[in-house]
Amino acid sequence: MRRMPLKAVLPALLILVTLGLAACGDDNGDGGGGGTTASDFPPPTAPPDDAQKGGTLTVVNAADVDYIDPGAGYYQPTYMIDFATQRTIVGWPPDANKDPVPDLADGEPTISDDFKTITFKIKKGIKYSPPVDREIKAADFKYAIERGMLPGVATSYHSPYLGDLVGYDQAVAAVGKDSTVAPNISGITTPDDQTLVLKLTKPTATVAVQALSLPLGAPVPEEYAKPFDAESPSAYSEHVVGTGPYMIENDDQGNVTGYSPGKEIILVRNPNWDPSTDYRPAYVDRIDFKEGFTDVNSATRKILTGDSQVNGDILPEPQGLKLAATQYPDQLSLVDSGGNRYISLNTQIPPFDDINVRKAVIASADREALRLARGGELVGPIATHFIPPNIPGFEEAGGDKGPDLDFIANPKGDPELAAEYMRKAGFASGKYEGDDPILVIGENAGVDKQVSSVVGDIFTKLGFKVNLREVSSDTAYTKFCGVPKSNYNACATTGWLKDFNDPQSILDVPFNGASIVPTNNSNWPLLDVPAINKALDKAKLVSEPQARAEAWGKVDDEIMAQAPAIPYIWDQQPAVSSANVDVVINLFNATPDLSFTSIKK
Amino acid sequence: MLRYVVRRVLWGIALLFMVSAVIFLIFYAFPSGDPAASRAGRLATPEEIDRIRETLGLDEPIYTQYWIYMKDLVLHFDFGYSYESNAPVRELIFDRLPATISLVCGAVVLWLLAAIPVGIISAVRQRSPFDRATMVTTLVLYSAPVFWLGLVLLYLFADDIGVFPIFPGQGAYTPISSGVGHWASALVLPWIVLAAASAAIYARYLRSSLIDVMGEDYIRTARAKGLGERRVIMRHGVRSAITPIVTLLGVDIGLLLAGNAILTESVFNIPGVGRLIFTSIERSDLPVVQGVVLFGAFFIITLSIVVDIAYAYLDPRVRYA
Repeated sequence: MRRMPLKAVLPALLILVTLGLAACGDDNGDGGGGGTTASDFPPPTAPPDDAQKGGTLTVVNAADVDYIDPGAGYYQPTYMIDFATQRTIVGWPPDANKDPVPDLADGEPTISDDFKTITFKIKKGIKYSPPVDREIKAADFKYAIERGMLPGVATSYHSPYLGDLVGYDQAVAAVGKDSTVAPNISGITTPDDQTLVLKLTKPTATVAVQALSLPLGAPVPEEYAKPFDAESPSAYSEHVVGTGPYMIENDDQGNVTGYSPGKEIILVRNPNWDPSTDYRPAYVDRIDFKEGFTDVNSATRKILTGDSQVNGDILPEPQGLKLAATQYPDQLSLVDSGGNRYISLNTQIPPFDDINVRKAVIASADREALRLARGGELVGPIATHFIPPNIPGFEEAGGDKGPDLDFIANPKGDPELAAEYMRKAGFASGKYEGDDPILVIGENAGVDKQVSSVVGDIFTKLGFKVNLREVSSDTAYTKFCGVPKSNYNACATTGWLKDFNDPQSILDVPFNGASIVPTNNSNWPLLDVPAINKALDKAKLVSEPQARAEAWGKVDDEIMAQAPAIPYIWDQQPAVSSANVDVVINLFNATPDLSFTSIKK
Repeated sequence: MLRYVVRRVLWGIALLFMVSAVIFLIFYAFPSGDPAASRAGRLATPEEIDRIRETLGLDEPIYTQYWIYMKDLVLHFDFGYSYESNAPVRELIFDRLPATISLVCGAVVLWLLAAIPVGIISAVRQRSPFDRATMVTTLVLYSAPVFWLGLVLLYLFADDIGVFPIFPGQGAYTPISSGVGHWASALVLPWIVLAAASAAIYARYLRSSLIDVMGEDYIRTARAKGLGERRVIMRHGVRSAITPIVTLLGVDIGLLLAGNAILTESVFNIPGVGRLIFTSIERSDLPVVQGVVLFGAFFIITLSIVVDIAYAYLDPRVRYA
């Protein structure tokens, strides 16, 4: 064989070396964070005193929002847009993280002593964006709530939090008969244009008020939206109007022109917005939601090195997080998202129907390795139970240390304790001795894929034969983990994000036996313990704040004692911005607040 | 010739029907997300999901769903609505096509401009330093994954994250109507990335084909007749050697227009058909997937027919009954 002349090979080698070096970047492979902690990157919650008006802010996103219709939207990035374009009856200024404050409501709502009646007074002089242009009235809130029941709108959080409204069941029946007209909920009345009254069958006013801080609590003009809502799915999203400082760009007839699905969403100033009625300063003139940046690391770098950009749904992964933390620390902030992440163990079928096997798995789990797969210390503290920090009930459930349970005590895992629990379960060797593989559902992309792989190792070390099925996120939930009869043994990438700042929105659906359904199930461990179900239902009816926190903290302890899942992170959500952006983080949504963020001149 | 074309067109239409049926079956038979459940959100009750399923027509048997779909398509050129965004699929595809066409056309020109001269020179100067250097280079380009090469070029040359900020980076694409200069400059890097592997393949393919052809008797005859070497190569050699390249080109362009530029579009955030189908598959958005696949099949079939017709002009030996 003749040798290749060096002069022919050299150019190709040079190209390879150059490209290789460029691709390697500065990642030294020690995980994200470089040893710094989340407390080094506190989220700014107020604009600087010299914040400037004007400019265009670009929000960098990987994917599209779920729905433009405020009645349908349920994603964090969607809320970023909703909170800038839709004012709700009560809302969340950036620094509010406990209770919502009045926005379109003229003062705090009046809640009756029995917590069954809520009365809102509505501000005067608030107008819809063009082409509606008229003032809002109480009936618009009633219509907004009622249209949420239409299958063409389908508000995700409607029945769990507003299902106690008087007349709700009749409204459900009415929708079943005619799904093109919003049903009347008799428990919502409007004595006059400035008064909205909600009557409940149970003392659940606290939760109902919180639910109305979500985009469903934004008014919708019935006479304008009704023809669109008659279509299924509702066409209101193509003609949406709002009361916020911004609106999605539209034409004279109200047709939305600023939304190209998967490409961009353009927000411009709402000419009918009156700053004197709002707590939002609305600094920038225009907001451009750019979508399609699917490579998270390069998108993170783009934001950090570019101008006038903030992240939307792009959450820096380990490499990008490290870059931000070490080289652009002033452009990174970390905020409690109010979410948790856990590995669900199917409590209804072998082998995890045995509580000792579940305890053994939790005891053996190296939760630090799981956290490292997501990005290390910066992505959040290691969880010891389910209610996350800053949600009432967190401290009552044991705070950072968690409940006094040996199997969750060691974040690195305790193989000896795990073996002990396995022996209690009847496996003399201290390891699982069955021959059938367990079905573990994982995900096939991004950080979740890495986590799935670590989860597989956890089971393997304890003697399980693992059939790790890695699928897309959508498939994982709608075909496997959300379908009990798919007989999965564990779901590797489950987790729950608060709907609002109440422990009910963290614990009730994921762990209440009553919430187990044949499809779209979110009680992934399929936990159905009568005592816990009873405690959950009882805690929902506790209204006094401290008593409520204690009740939910106790429920959290009881759930953890059942070892239904391996909690491993209370999420810290990173936000990155360009150097010329004075970003303000909304603590409630854990994302940049577009109505408060400004561009430096 | 006319009969041949008509026959091919009719086969093409039949093929489109078959493709549409297969895609329907794939979604029905294999696990993918449940659009109704995805749309309903995680707190929805089974009853709410059932109502949504009914609204989307997903409660009908698969053959009924298929029949309704094809009826709307044939009678009204209606591809249905996206489960995700509620937008008409036809609008979504037409909205994305210009970006994909821009990307593909530029890349095709680039790879042909690179591959044809390189292939010819390498063939006629076999084992020369030029031949060896280009063949090694083509091997490297062929082996480089598109997403890797794309990211490397971005980190080197993009004006936002690059070490040498020369060309616009991710998300810089604008339609040609907003200015040819910006349109072209935003596409320089994507064109290079998309063209790299194909240029390498085409160059090697043409080289190999031309080496074979140059050994044929009729080439010797042409030389014996006293024709100049350039004329022998270009008129007799290349014309014959390039026919398989034309076949390849037809299929490649069809595939790229059908969404095969997905990686390049994703890396550079070009809002084209490839990215559309990727997102739609991820979200089990069947109407969009179905629409894009049908469009893709249409492009591939049409270009195959065009290629077959072009054969008759390129190769005098080919005649159609």
